[in-house]
Amino acid sequence: MTRITTEKYRQQAAKGAADPVLRGALANLQNRFGRGTAECYRRLPEGPDLRKRAKRARQESIDHLDVLLERLAEKIRSRGGHVYFARKGKEAVEYCLAVCRRHGVRLAVKGKSMVTEEIGLNRSLSAAGIEAVETDLGEYIVQLAGESPSHIIAPAIHKTRKEIGRLFADRLGIAYSEDPPTLTRAARRALREKFLAADMGISGCNLACAETGHITTVSNEGNIRMASTLPKVHMVFMGMERIVARLEDHDMLFRLLARGAAAQNMAGYVSYIGGPRQPGDSDGPEAFHLVVLDNGRSKILADPEFREMLCCIRCAACLNVCPVYGRIGGHAYGYPYSGPVGAVVTPLLVGINRAKDLCSGETLCGACRHACPVDIDIPRMLLALRAKLADGDPRWGVKRTSLLEKAAFVLWSKLAGSSRLYALAMEAAALAQRLLPGNRQMIRRLPPPLAGWTQYRDLRPLAGKSFHKRWKTNDRSR
Amino acid sequence: MTAADEKIFLANVRRALGIDSPRRAPRLFAESPSAYSKRLLEKISRRTGEETRKLIHRLKEAAAPLNIDLHVASDIQTAAALITRIAADKSPEWADRKTVAAWRHPLIERLDLPAALDAPVFFSEPDPGLSGEEARRRMIEQIAKSFIGVTAADFCLADTATLVLRSRPGQARSVSLLPSIHVAIVEADRLLADLAELYALLSWDPEQKTEGLSTCLTLITGPSKTADIEATLVHGAHGPRELHLVVLEQNS
Repeated sequence: MTRITTEKYRQQAAKGAADPVLRGALANLQNRFGRGTAECYRRLPEGPDLRKRAKRARQESIDHLDVLLERLAEKIRSRGGHVYFARKGKEAVEYCLAVCRRHGVRLAVKGKSMVTEEIGLNRSLSAAGIEAVETDLGEYIVQLAGESPSHIIAPAIHKTRKEIGRLFADRLGIAYSEDPPTLTRAARRALREKFLAADMGISGCNLACAETGHITTVSNEGNIRMASTLPKVHMVFMGMERIVARLEDHDMLFRLLARGAAAQNMAGYVSYIGGPRQPGDSDGPEAFHLVVLDNGRSKILADPEFREMLCCIRCAACLNVCPVYGRIGGHAYGYPYSGPVGAVVTPLLVGINRAKDLCSGETLCGACRHACPVDIDIPRMLLALRAKLADGDPRWGVKRTSLLEKAAFVLWSKLAGSSRLYALAMEAAALAQRLLPGNRQMIRRLPPPLAGWTQYRDLRPLAGKSFHKRWKTNDRSR
Repeated sequence: MTAADEKIFLANVRRALGIDSPRRAPRLFAESPSAYSKRLLEKISRRTGEETRKLIHRLKEAAAPLNIDLHVASDIQTAAALITRIAADKSPEWADRKTVAAWRHPLIERLDLPAALDAPVFFSEPDPGLSGEEARRRMIEQIAKSFIGVTAADFCLADTATLVLRSRPGQARSVSLLPSIHVAIVEADRLLADLAELYALLSWDPEQKTEGLSTCLTLITGPSKTADIEATLVHGAHGPRELHLVVLEQNS
């Protein structure tokens, strides 16, 4: 299993927000991709409404997931490929290890795959004595540094060229350089050897096509093509929701994916792979394995409130516009999925209580929804998570986070329901606030448990005379 | 894994969807082309020379910002000469001497590369004298040593400057991947407007649909690139650092 540190969200977020280098890198990323994506949507011939059509296609597919997965498996098997359905991450990992043993795999090259991060595949491979090398440049950097990715598409966005220069000098034995082309060339050289020597290529799947029976991989670097073409075994890990019924729907979805992910009209390389090398084919792997993973997704599927989240195609467009992600970075979220998508998906996968601060950390500003290529209403689901944490939910095993908070709101609703009680309470509060530190203009600090409100801001005090009273006096004087 | 595990998995998915038993969803997959696909197929089949010239123009506009070197050749000799010049100008990246890898393809046969180039040309076919896996390994070694890979695209999408390649005997996927320079040749009548036209054609055109997507359909848009270091764009991440696209106009 991958390391989950969602409980430390507050501390990790504070750490991220205090890091000026990270803030600079994130601002650069958001300026470039966040704005570019919005512009790309506007330039679509069908206009930004295409996102709504894309969402309908995704929803239809999710609603027929059983039929689609059966069709995909049947088609891939008809070409000699293997398909394994794993309910838990552990089963997926064990299946992979068994295939490794059967083929005597010692070196595996990996394309970027969030789902393999989710199941902690690298750690298990390494424990079994198999070297698993990340080949996406960003993932490679992060792996060499012994860290974890902080962005779905740009995993090493938190590292500066200077840090990468020192890392490469240290680990690859090259002369120090902070020139991105020079550093890229060094990785190109080091990884080419790995590609040519690897026994297994491991990749994720962007969006399978049930109708034709193909998985798809997308990259700009060409690393996933290498991993899926050169080694004798190709192993694909796919979250069970990453599938669409018809090839026709791939048109709009891939156009939107490229725009959402990198403000491109089309990704550099898109491959449709339907199985192992066929008789007569010149190259391609001799064995092809697809692992379809549930790992908590069926629970999301069963809940109409959150099913929409399964439409997500993991493009990271929401990260590129999120004001919170833009300040705290991806590591704060404590799980491979960060940003707005992570704030919804992570609690649903690891436990809502365990990741309780993620949904409160987001601002509900709605930028993520406008950036989403499939128009997912993330703010609605963030609120739904907050409601579950406030009231508790036996179905999701959610324990109410704070009884005190609940009691406070019950009291508040009583007060707000009666104008007399409300006026009395306000007058009492206006008197009581004189005891707080500050001056007449501002309250500097509130006592616990309300201290959080005044940690980074001052609070305007209650007026001595309520609006209601002033209105009455003014009315009389007129 | 047992078939039972798979049944449990799928039954669990059905339960989540509120469905009791395996079902068929006949309308989910198209049995015949939609009105939309029919319109696209009609448009493709009636494309005139003038419209194709417009597509070439669109292709030029799309290719420029993507760092694709686009060449329009009026005949096969001009195309061959172009490749000769590229091979003469460029230096090998992974080996000391210049070798070229190429697909077995009717259009590439017409280029007569062995005659046109000073460098030896390796055609991407496994040696029939060797066992499957051994032959494949040897072939990949050869292609990895080559500095230019020559392919012939099945189609080219003008709006995004995207090449469409399918896997077939003699046409190795690694020829468009391992060499530092990828040269793809495409006949002008293989130009399509966009992805929608491609998918309609692969799904419904009587000549195309049998092969369909093949085992591996690759869409290539520009040379290999990355922006993983401080969001700075760099060409030549893992795949080819240069992409030359030669459009062969019809002899009219």
